[in-house]
Amino acid sequence: MTSLDYQRLGNFRYAVITFIGDDGFPFSVSTDFKILPDKKIVLQKPARPSKLDGKRVNVLFNHITGLPGGGYGDRRYMLVWGTTHEDHGTLRFEPESLSEWDEKILPFDQYCAKSAPQGAKYLGTLQASVEA
Amino acid sequence: MIQVPPWVRETFDNYLVCEFTTVKSGRPVTMPLLPFYLPDSGKFVVTSSILFSKKAENVKKNPKVSLLFSNPEGSKGGKHAVLVQGIAHADDSDLDHGWEKYLSYWRKKEPYIDAYLAEREKFGWFWKRIVVQVEPKKILAWKNGDTSRAPEEFGA
Repeated sequence: MTSLDYQRLGNFRYAVITFIGDDGFPFSVSTDFKILPDKKIVLQKPARPSKLDGKRVNVLFNHITGLPGGGYGDRRYMLVWGTTHEDHGTLRFEPESLSEWDEKILPFDQYCAKSAPQGAKYLGTLQASVEA
Repeated sequence: MIQVPPWVRETFDNYLVCEFTTVKSGRPVTMPLLPFYLPDSGKFVVTSSILFSKKAENVKKNPKVSLLFSNPEGSKGGKHAVLVQGIAHADDSDLDHGWEKYLSYWRKKEPYIDAYLAEREKFGWFWKRIVVQVEPKKILAWKNGDTSRAPEEFGA
């Protein structure tokens, strides 16, 4: 997987665990987490769902800072896919892949420029559907 | 329309971001997004630039989504956690103007948005936006954000 920066990960305040439920809907729940010295990620087990052992999930670590005049800045997130394992009343999270953005590392205008191929792809799909 | 208590409604109105999840090939994809709650219909709207349109592509293939309101940063009121599960519809019929009807909601959460709009030409593709509207099917709410307890359920 893309290298996970545990130092930056440790600066987030909480985690959001998401998995796909039996009804097909995504189910998200927020919880606390900690990173152990051996870089194991441990999530506090929420009351719902009751079973998360062996679940394929993604865990979002997100941060914003509210601005005095309203709105927010200092945007950054890490979205990590992996598997949760129940372990003595907690959840051990095994990360597998990562998507992230930190506007202090990649400013927003550069992030937009980097994302231009996705915009072109979307417009191309719309054009194709019009012509079909 | 699912009826919810005032503290849940205030969470919808006040939280600046939600964690929005779509489904791609059976796995979740969760991103922080700016949500708008439409009080007359009880529906939610998020908008997405075509630059970041994978979520809209996902919705077209699988309309089941969720919005979690868990981050009170920058908002007034309590610190709660509320999950909305619903059916989404992505509308890209008017990328240039379709989202403008939600500008009043946007200004409330990001008052500086007009400064960006003034430079609309500079970020042309950012302002080509897809409107994703979500009709809630179930709402689960954890008062005070305590997810170690079972949530209250609405609309189940």
